[in-house]
Amino acid sequence: MVLKLHVWGPAFSLPSIDAQCLATIAYLSLTLPKDAWVLVASSDPSVSPTNELPALRNGNTWVSHFRNIVDYLRQYSSGDWDLDADLTGLDRADSIAFTSFLDTQFPPLLALSLYVTSQNYYSSVLPAYSSQILSWPSTWLIPPQHRAAAKRASDHLGLSSLDLVALEEDRKREHSAAVAAGRLPASLPLLKATTPATTSGLVPSHRFRMEAVTAAAFEPLAAMLPAHKQYLLGGDRPTSVDCLLLGYGCLAALGAEHLQEAWLGEAMRQKAPRVVEWVRDRQTAWLANDALPWRPTERPHWRTVGNTIWNTVAEATPVWRDYRVNTRMREVALAQEAELSPEERSALAKHATSYKKDVWLSVAVVVGGVAALVGYMAKVGFLSSTAWEEEYVDEEEEGEEEVVRPEIPEALNATDFLGSLSFS
Amino acid sequence: MTSDRREAPGQTPDNATAAARARDFFSVPAPVKRIFDRFPLVTYPPNDLPYCSWSNRQGNRLFVFTDAAGARHGRPSFNPQCLKWQAYLRFAGIDFDIIPSSNHASPTGALPFLLPALPVGNNAPIPSNKLQKWAIEQVHCEEEQQLNTRFEVYASLLDHRIRNAWLYTLYVDAENFDAVARRLYVDPSTTNPAVRAALALQLQQAARAELLKTSSFIDAAALEAEAGEAFEALSTLLGDNLHFFDRPNPGLFDASVFAYTHLILDEKMGWKRNRLGQLLRRHENLLQHRERLLNLF
Repeated sequence: MVLKLHVWGPAFSLPSIDAQCLATIAYLSLTLPKDAWVLVASSDPSVSPTNELPALRNGNTWVSHFRNIVDYLRQYSSGDWDLDADLTGLDRADSIAFTSFLDTQFPPLLALSLYVTSQNYYSSVLPAYSSQILSWPSTWLIPPQHRAAAKRASDHLGLSSLDLVALEEDRKREHSAAVAAGRLPASLPLLKATTPATTSGLVPSHRFRMEAVTAAAFEPLAAMLPAHKQYLLGGDRPTSVDCLLLGYGCLAALGAEHLQEAWLGEAMRQKAPRVVEWVRDRQTAWLANDALPWRPTERPHWRTVGNTIWNTVAEATPVWRDYRVNTRMREVALAQEAELSPEERSALAKHATSYKKDVWLSVAVVVGGVAALVGYMAKVGFLSSTAWEEEYVDEEEEGEEEVVRPEIPEALNATDFLGSLSFS
Repeated sequence: MTSDRREAPGQTPDNATAAARARDFFSVPAPVKRIFDRFPLVTYPPNDLPYCSWSNRQGNRLFVFTDAAGARHGRPSFNPQCLKWQAYLRFAGIDFDIIPSSNHASPTGALPFLLPALPVGNNAPIPSNKLQKWAIEQVHCEEEQQLNTRFEVYASLLDHRIRNAWLYTLYVDAENFDAVARRLYVDPSTTNPAVRAALALQLQQAARAELLKTSSFIDAAALEAEAGEAFEALSTLLGDNLHFFDRPNPGLFDASVFAYTHLILDEKMGWKRNRLGQLLRRHENLLQHRERLLNLF
C-alpha cells in the first residue's frame, strides 16, 4: 500500500506554504523509501476527516498533524521508519522540550510575518495562494480564514500594528466616532496617515517588543545549535526535531527576495546566523522540489467547492461556529477507542452535551435581544414608515455623488414613460 | 434629463437603481445608525486600587488568589501563576505578606502583583513579569536564565504543554469545574447567582479560546498525552539532583514546576477527575521534589 501525504501547496520555491507540512515532508523523505509514499498538494483540509493538513492516508486510515504522523509511522512499520528510535535519557527529554519550544515560539512569529504584516500578506502570500495553491472560489475564502486565525494566534504578542490596513481602518472609525460624538466638526477632513510605510518606521515601543519577541525565539535556538553540532540533539543522524526545525526555519528565514518586509528573516540572521545557514543546507538536501514524489492533484470536485463555501459560512457565523467546535469535540470523544478509558469518554461526551445546552441558550439570548431591540425601536418610533423615508432622504444627500438616482415620476405609467423617452 | 441619458449610454436608469439598491442593502440601516450615533463609545480611566484593611500593612504585599485563612498563614495560593511567584520570592528569602485579591484589582488585569515596602520610581505596583528583576535587585540572587541554555527551552513545557492540560482539566472538564474552579474562583467573588453564572461562563469561554488558539479543536487525549511527555522530560532533567539544574538552592524553575505539581497533587483542591495526577505519580523524583519544597512553606 502506498502512503499518500496531503499537504498545502508549494510557495516561495518551497514544497509547501505551511510549516507543519514542510516538517512532515522532510520527515517522510528522510525515513521512507522513495516508492513507499506519494505527495499530493491537495490544499484542502476537508479531504481528511480531521479537517487538518498535513494528513497521511493509508487505505481507510487518516492521520493528521506532524507528531501523530511520526507516531503512526513508527507503529505501522513496527519501528523501522522511526528517526527517534535510538534516543534515550536526556536526549529523549531534550527532544520533547525542543519540540515544545519550537511549537510554541514559531507559529505566532510566522503568523505575524506572513499573514499579519499587511505588505507581505497582500504582495506575497495572497498571490502565492491564488496562483499556485488554490483554485477559484477557494482563493476568496481560505486566505482570509488563515489570516483571521493568524491574528488570533499572534494577538498576545501585541504587535498588531504590523497590519497597516487594519490600523488605517481603525483610524477612520475613530475619526467618524469623534465626529458623531461632536468632538470634531464633520467638515474637518481625516488627516494624512501618520502610520509608517515600513516596519523600520514602527512605533518605538513596538520595535522594542519585536526585538524582545524575536530574541525570545532565536537566542535559545542559537544556543541549542552551536557550531560544533551537526544536528539539534548532537548525534550524527537527524531526528524528528530537526525536521520540525527545518519546517519552521525555512519559512522564518525567507529573505527579501520573497517577502517585501523580511523583518523576521533579518532578525533570525542577526540572532541565529548559524541556524539560517543550517536551514539553507538542509533545505536543498531534504526539501528539493524535483526529488519529491509529487502526484498531480485531482480537479476540485463541485462537492469539495460547495463544502468549502459551507464551512466558511459556518465559521463566520458566531453561534453556529461554537456549535460546530462542540460537535467536533464530541466526535473526538466518541471516536477514540484506545486512548480514553470508558469513564473518561463518557465524561467528555457528557461535557460536550452540556455545552450544547449553552449554545441553545446563547441562540435564545440572541433571538430575545433582537426582538427586544426591534420592539424598543417600534415603541420609540424609530421604525414608523415616515422615519424610514426621512432617513433615506438624509442618507442620499450626505452620500457620494457618484451614484445617480433616477427620478421616478409619482404615478409611473408605461406609456408616459416610453413617451417621455421618445419625444423629448 | 433624458438628453443627458443619451449622452452617457453606460449610465442607464436600470444600472443606477440597482447600484443604489445594493448600496442601501449593505449600508447600516438608518434607525440603527441613529441609535449608535447617539451613544459614542467612551473608555473610562482605570479605577484606583481598592482601599481596605490591608492597605495599612507596612511590608511588601503580594496580591494573589487565596482565601483569608490562607493569607494569614502564608499558605500556597491555588492559582499556578500566583503560586509560582509566591514560591520564588519565598525561595529567594524575601519577606512579604500575602493578600487575597482578584484580577479586577490588578493594574495589568492579571494576578499576581506586588506593592513594595520601599516604593521604586513612581510608586507603581510591580506586575508579575517584572517581579524577577525586582527580586534580583533586592537580594542579588542570580538570573537563572543566563546560567543554563536549557532553561528557556524546558520552561516552554511548563508554560504551554502543562498549562494547556491544566486549563483543560480545571475549566473545560465540567465535573472539575463545578467541584474546584467554581468553589475557588467564582463563589468568593459574589453571592449573586446571575453574576456567578456569568463569571463562570466567562472563565470557561476564556479557557476554551486559549486552547483553540493553537489547534482547530480541543482534543483532550492529545493535551493529556503532551502533558505526560512534559512530565517525563522534566523528570529526566531533574534526575537525582535536589533541585533543577543542580543548584544548591531552589530557584525560579523549581518554583514554576512546584506551582503545578503541588496543585495537581494537593488533596485540598478536591479534584473529581485527576488524569494529570495519575501521569505525575509515575515520576517518583518529581513527587519528592514537591515534598521538599512544600516543607519550606
